[in-house]
Amino acid sequence: MRDLVEALYREIPSGVGSKGKLKLSREDHKRLLRDGARWAVENGFGEPEDLQYIESGGSIEGADPSLISDKAYERGRAQQGTLGSGNHFLEIQYVEEIYDERAAEVFGLFKDQVTLMIHTGSRGFGHQVCTDFLEVMERAVKRYNISLPDKELACAPFYSQEAQDYFSAMKAAANYAWANRQCIMHWCREAITETLGISRRELGLELVYDVAHNIAKVEEHIVDGEKIKVVVHRKGATRAFAPGHPEVPERYRAVGQPVLIPGDMGRASYVLVGTEKAMQDTFGSTCHGAGRVLSRHQAIKRAKGRAIWREMEDAGILVRSAGKRTLAEEMSEAYKDISNVVDVVERAGISKKVAKLRPLGVVKG
Amino acid sequence: MAERPDIKRLDDNTLEVPIGYIDGMRVKGLIYVDRQLQEYLEVEAIRQVANVATLPGIVKWSLAMPDIHTGYGFAIGGVAAFDIKNGIISPGGVGYDIN
Repeated sequence: MRDLVEALYREIPSGVGSKGKLKLSREDHKRLLRDGARWAVENGFGEPEDLQYIESGGSIEGADPSLISDKAYERGRAQQGTLGSGNHFLEIQYVEEIYDERAAEVFGLFKDQVTLMIHTGSRGFGHQVCTDFLEVMERAVKRYNISLPDKELACAPFYSQEAQDYFSAMKAAANYAWANRQCIMHWCREAITETLGISRRELGLELVYDVAHNIAKVEEHIVDGEKIKVVVHRKGATRAFAPGHPEVPERYRAVGQPVLIPGDMGRASYVLVGTEKAMQDTFGSTCHGAGRVLSRHQAIKRAKGRAIWREMEDAGILVRSAGKRTLAEEMSEAYKDISNVVDVVERAGISKKVAKLRPLGVVKG
Repeated sequence: MAERPDIKRLDDNTLEVPIGYIDGMRVKGLIYVDRQLQEYLEVEAIRQVANVATLPGIVKWSLAMPDIHTGYGFAIGGVAAFDIKNGIISPGGVGYDIN
């Protein structure tokens, strides 16, 4: 396990502002922004089958790279293929418990199986896109005379130029994130096969699912008995489509869309599945993760004088991190207990538990 | 002046943020949280769920999941849908860490 964690840490760049090993020309980068994970697969990162198990096939149509600022390009190009810091992680886990045998079997999960979870996003690129368009939206609010209780809600009518431009740029950032995870998954497979001295086929490690949790999408939902098109905003919330929905991969369609719930690094993560009740009540959405209870600053104070890595190691979890600070910020106590969070969405019926995953080895930025 | 309605528990897993909790709400807020997790529920995050309910074109309700906490404009853990005909899109509803 120590060798595996070291190999993952070595092969996948992590940490604040970490630089990637991809050297992309501006043209390559534009293609990446247009095609997302599909770009990654076409360029040798991963396998075509992977794309079937990514939300939206890992590539949202309508991303327009010409709307991206130079600053976003700059931040994005250097960081493509990096994990980042904060709550982002790579985890080697094992399946501790199965709650729904049928769904687990369809997803290819079984008790005591070893799994790998990747949690990262669009890095500085998405951050810069958001920053750039908040300025655009502040002007739009005045132009379209929208009254807001808080200026941070800056927005524009969906069909305005400002809104369409943001939507296209956001899609580029979403594609960036999908390409990022696809590349990282590929390097993880390489690092693990090399460390264990086995072939790709022997390893297995097929993609169960890749799902977004900070995104806006146009979807059809039933509102007041009528099917209408809406822009669903999910911010720290995960899509959880029901069995039978055409956007659920064919192999999973009878049981519903897999939902990945990354927990804090010391406790657990979950795999859930979407339900019809989620379609009716929450626009096909559920929770994302544990949610902080301590601010980063409070967590650092609480961790003073403690060796978080050793506490984790004593609990059977090996951890490797670019910075001590991240470990302090990310310690379990800084988060709600993921099990409580998941129990609420299950009792409310907006998703169902399939499997519980326990961390064995953690790489943090 | 009429007193403002407070949040109310609908069942073991949901809280309602009633219209009138703040001015201008077009729909109710609905927060998925049980009594145990409610202890962590920040007043500012509830306020953000209510704020989102005032936005043009919002349909059904302004939602939040049990991992809710205060974010930029929209609460993290928030879900909101806007009719594409008369609704809006907002970068704050997606956040900085896109996707």
